[in-house]
Amino acid sequence: MTQARMISDEDFRKFREFFYRKTGMLFEDSKRYFVDKRLLERMDATDSESFRAYFTMVRFQASGEELQTLINAMTVNETYFFREEYQFRCLVDSMLEEIVTHTRQQRALRIWSVPSSSGEEPYGIAIYLLEHWPRLDDWDIEIVSSDIDTEILNQARRGRYTHRSIQNLPPSLLAKYFRRDGDHYLIDQELREAVDFTRVNVSDAADMRRHRHFDIIFCRNLLIYFDDLSRKQTAESFYDALNPGGFICLGHSESMSRISSLFRVRKFPEAIVYQKPWEAR
Amino acid sequence: MALKKPAPTAPSSDDERRLARDLPGLLSALAAADPLARRWAARDLAAHPNASRALVDRLRIETEPSVSQVILTTLTRLGDEIAVAGLTECLRSEDAMLRNAAIEAMKQLPDEVAPVMEQLLKDDDPDVRIFAVDVLESLRHPRVEEWLIRVIAEDPHVNVCATAVDLLGEVGSERAVPTLHALKARFVDEPYIQFAADLALKRIAQG
Repeated sequence: MTQARMISDEDFRKFREFFYRKTGMLFEDSKRYFVDKRLLERMDATDSESFRAYFTMVRFQASGEELQTLINAMTVNETYFFREEYQFRCLVDSMLEEIVTHTRQQRALRIWSVPSSSGEEPYGIAIYLLEHWPRLDDWDIEIVSSDIDTEILNQARRGRYTHRSIQNLPPSLLAKYFRRDGDHYLIDQELREAVDFTRVNVSDAADMRRHRHFDIIFCRNLLIYFDDLSRKQTAESFYDALNPGGFICLGHSESMSRISSLFRVRKFPEAIVYQKPWEAR
Repeated sequence: MALKKPAPTAPSSDDERRLARDLPGLLSALAAADPLARRWAARDLAAHPNASRALVDRLRIETEPSVSQVILTTLTRLGDEIAVAGLTECLRSEDAMLRNAAIEAMKQLPDEVAPVMEQLLKDDDPDVRIFAVDVLESLRHPRVEEWLIRVIAEDPHVNVCATAVDLLGEVGSERAVPTLHALKARFVDEPYIQFAADLALKRIAQG
């Protein structure tokens, strides 16, 4: 069935433009095979006779269900526990220290991990704080984690991982926070309950407005999928999601300086991160 | 104290939500005293194709740089004639940050900026002409080289020509060679022009 159908150059261009408007994600020509394969799979799954029929359904379906399924199919969700761990060290040794020093009133400190993918990052942050931030005895921490892909959010809530995901974790932490579940590792229930998983499209202003008052945002290796304008728009939304003095951590190959001038570059011993100025309004 | 489950994330009801999110509500919020409310209004106005005029008017009087940044981003997203005119106007601003942000924004609108480029390159103010050349630096438009050649052929101001010739060194082809020689002859007493034109010629020769 799949072989009989084709995605023409014009179809690809139309789809790319539509998907970009909806999500901010821009597929270069080099991603053509990746996009075509997933489109053809979804056309099969929905018994669509042609790209045109499928595309019409995606655009005009009242529930938006197929668009969400397509978004789930088009997003890449590959990560593992303690990826780019140096930023977690920066979190406990530098960023949180600066924030608590400036924060007069006792309140919960809020961390946002986006995209959540299957949960390795937000749970990894939680473990790192429990293990390495002694002030956790004095401060409450709230962790929110978000993704555009609803299927991966469900997976994150389940907290069940393959060996590949946990291979960077020291055995002591694996024993302390996970239990074996067949070939998988199931994360501790208390940790699962400590993270609030939400669905967010970072290109959607209304979605972003619901996520606010954060002290630290981890947004690693997401903006690389966006074009310049969407990247800038998202960075500006993050600015308003942060409290004054809040920090944003990007992936090692990303630089906020090339995206927006709203943030200050902070060079800590462990990592370079970006800060909303304390005096910002 | 410990890890604490946050309250479920729900639509917020404070400050920026006080005003309705329809066009009249957003236009009111664009004039709110709180910069956060103004930024959210400017951001949400991207969904309203008729908002460019109000955004351009606000940009003229806006004093908070973070709000100006968001307005510029929304104008880039809208990209209509009024938005482009508003961005162009920023090239005359004394505020270097605003000017640079407008240059960056214009680079992202090649098709929309193209119709006004000729006019900008003939502006009475040489600084505006230099900024227009700066826009060309990464404007993805097939006429970039043609515009630059015309600048070095006709512009009377040495600094405008110097900016253009630097860029021609990067994007120029064989087509630019005769005009580069003519430029050297026109500014025979300007060592920088001699140096930059020679460098551009060398780079073009190297392909």
